[in-house]
Amino acid sequence: MQQGLQRSNVTVVAAVVAVLAIYGPQLWGQAADYVAPRTAAGWPDLNGVWQALNTANYDIQAHPARPALALVPAPPSTTTVPLGTDWATPGELPAPPVRALGAVGGVPAGEGVVVGNEIPYQPWAVLIKQENAENWLERDPEIKCYLPGVPRATYMPYPFQILQGVDQILIAYEFAGATRTIHMNDVGNSPGPTWMGWSRGRWEGETLVVDVSGFNGQAWFDRAGNFHSDALHVTERYTPISSNHLIYEATIEDPNVFTEPWTIKMPLYRRLETDKRLLEYECVEFVEQLMYGELGVFDPAGGQRGE
Amino acid sequence: MKRQHVFVVGILVGVVFIGAVVSVVTTPELPETPTNVEAWIQPHTAWGDPDFQGVWRYEATIPLERSSEHEGRAFLTDEEVEEIARAEQELSANRLAGFEGAAVGRRTLLESPIRGNEYNSFWQYHGRARQAYRQTSLIIDPPNGRLPYTGDARQAAIRSATRYGIGPYESYLDPDTGERCLTDGVTATMWQGPNGGHNRIVQSPGYVTIVHEEYQDRRIIPVDGGSHRGIPQWLGDSVGHWEGDTLVVETTNFSNKMHYEWANIWTRVSDTLRLVERFQRVGPNIMEYTITVDDPKTFTMPWTAVVPILRLPDNTQIYEYACHEGNYALSNILSAGRSIAADE
Repeated sequence: MQQGLQRSNVTVVAAVVAVLAIYGPQLWGQAADYVAPRTAAGWPDLNGVWQALNTANYDIQAHPARPALALVPAPPSTTTVPLGTDWATPGELPAPPVRALGAVGGVPAGEGVVVGNEIPYQPWAVLIKQENAENWLERDPEIKCYLPGVPRATYMPYPFQILQGVDQILIAYEFAGATRTIHMNDVGNSPGPTWMGWSRGRWEGETLVVDVSGFNGQAWFDRAGNFHSDALHVTERYTPISSNHLIYEATIEDPNVFTEPWTIKMPLYRRLETDKRLLEYECVEFVEQLMYGELGVFDPAGGQRGE
Repeated sequence: MKRQHVFVVGILVGVVFIGAVVSVVTTPELPETPTNVEAWIQPHTAWGDPDFQGVWRYEATIPLERSSEHEGRAFLTDEEVEEIARAEQELSANRLAGFEGAAVGRRTLLESPIRGNEYNSFWQYHGRARQAYRQTSLIIDPPNGRLPYTGDARQAAIRSATRYGIGPYESYLDPDTGERCLTDGVTATMWQGPNGGHNRIVQSPGYVTIVHEEYQDRRIIPVDGGSHRGIPQWLGDSVGHWEGDTLVVETTNFSNKMHYEWANIWTRVSDTLRLVERFQRVGPNIMEYTITVDDPKTFTMPWTAVVPILRLPDNTQIYEYACHEGNYALSNILSAGRSIAADE
C-alpha cells in the first residue's frame, strides 16, 4: 500500500516535469504578428476586464496538489502493528484552523509561471521562504487583506480592469479595491515606499512596458511564501496576442534577495461577459474579527456585549 | 418605473439650481481662473466625451450646513466675504508659522471647527488659504441650508458627535467606518477628505473613473448606457450619462450599513440611499458639482448641495493611502479601551 502511494507521488512529479518540458514556445509563438486595435490616441487598445487563469497565487512555481495551504504532520501511530508493517498514515493533514474547509481548502496543482521554474534566491533567502510557507497563516499579507503588490495583483483569482486614459493608465483590481496609476508622462522617481509601487509606463511597439519600483518590501509573490525586499524592481510587459488575450511578463530584480533577475510569464484572458464590470471586494471588513477580535473588551465573535 | 420618475425630477431640480448658483458664486481668485467663464470652451477627449481629467480638490470655506448665525440668508455680503478671506489668510499664515492649534482656531474640544483635537488639524490643511464664497452653505435645498434629518438620524448625529474620540471603544465595531479604514461613504468623496479631499478623474472610452485618495475609494462609472447591477456595495453602483457637457451619475444599490458607526451620519449608506450627481466644468480649473441625496432612512426629504471644486495643476499626484495596512490606531484604541475598562 505504502509502496503504491510512493509510486503515485513519483508519477505526479514526473507528470509535472513532463508538462513543464513542453510548456513554452508553442504557447506564445502565435503572438508575433498580431497588431492590436488602436485607441483614439493611436496606442494599442488594452481597455477591458482581464483575469489570469492559473494557480500562481498559490505558488508561482510548479507544484503538485495538496490537501491544504497549512499542513501539519499527522501524529505518529502509537500502537504496535502485527506482521511487522506500519499502519497507513496520511503523512500530513490540514492544519486545524483550515481543516473544516475540506476540498475547498485544497491546493490545485499548477505548472508554475516562473520561466525555467527556478527562483534564484540567495542562500539565506531560501530559508526565509521556507519559514514563510510554514507560517503562512500568520504571515501571508493576503490573509489580512493587505494591498497585494505587483506582480501578485495580476494573478490573484480576481478580475482587474485596464482603463486607458491619456497621461495615466489605471489598473483597477477587484481584490481589496486596489488601484494602480501607470504614469505615461514624466513624473520622476517614486516619492516613497508603497505596497503597489510607483509605475511608469511606455509603449514598445504593441507592448505596454511598465517600470515599477518604490516598493515597501512587505508584499509577497504568492501563498507559498515567495518574497522580496524593498529593493524590488519589476518590469512588466503587457502584449496583446489576440483581441481577447494578453501575454503578461514580469522581470523581477531584487539584489537584496535574488542572485540574478528572473521572469514570470502567463496569458491573461479577457472577461467576455457582456458589459462585464468589476465588483467590490472590500475585504477589510472580512478580516477585522481575525485581526482585532481578541484585542477589545469584548469580541463580537463571542456574542453580545456584557450588561 | 417609479425610480425613473424620481430620477427625472432630481435632474430638473439640479438644473434649476445650477443656473441660479453660477450667476452668484464668487469665482475663486486663482490666477489661472478666467473672470469671464463664457470665454472658456469645454475640452473633449479624443473619443469625443467632455474632458474632466485631472486631480480635483475642494478648497472653499463654505460649510455644508448654514450656521444659525446666517439663518435666513443664502448669501453673504461682500464685506463678510472679505472678512472670511482675511481670516483664512491669517489662519494660513499661522499654520505656516507653526501655530497649529491657533491656526485651526481651536479653543476647546467642543468649540473646535475641527472635531477631535489638534492632532487631527493637519488633515484639514490645504497648504494655502481657502477660497471665500458668498454661499452660506453648500446645501441649497432645502432652502434653509440644513440637513433634513429624520428624528432618529438627528439623534444618531448627536450620539456620533458626543462619542467621537471618547468612545466607549469596546470592540472593532465601535470606531467609525473611517477609523476602520472602510470608507466615509460616497456622498462627500468629491469635497471631503484629508486636505480638502483629492480625486483623480481618468477617462477611457465608455468610462469615467474617480479615484478618491482617502481609503482609495474607487468608482468606475460606465457612461455608455450601462445598467445598474442590483448587487449591494459599500460604494453603490454608479451609472452615468452625458447631458451636453454635463456628466450625470445616478448611484443606487448601496449596502445597508446603518448599524455601523459613521463619523458623519449624513454620509452613512443604506439600501434606500440614492445619489444623483452632476459634474459640470464651468472654467478650465473649476467644476460645479451638484449632488442630490435621497434616503428616507436618514432624511425626511432629498437634499441638494452645490460644491465648487478646483482642478489642481497637471503635475498633481494622488498617492497610495494604505489605511488598513497601517491601522495601528485601531489596536491602540482597543488596548486603551481595555485599560479603561480594567480601571473601572
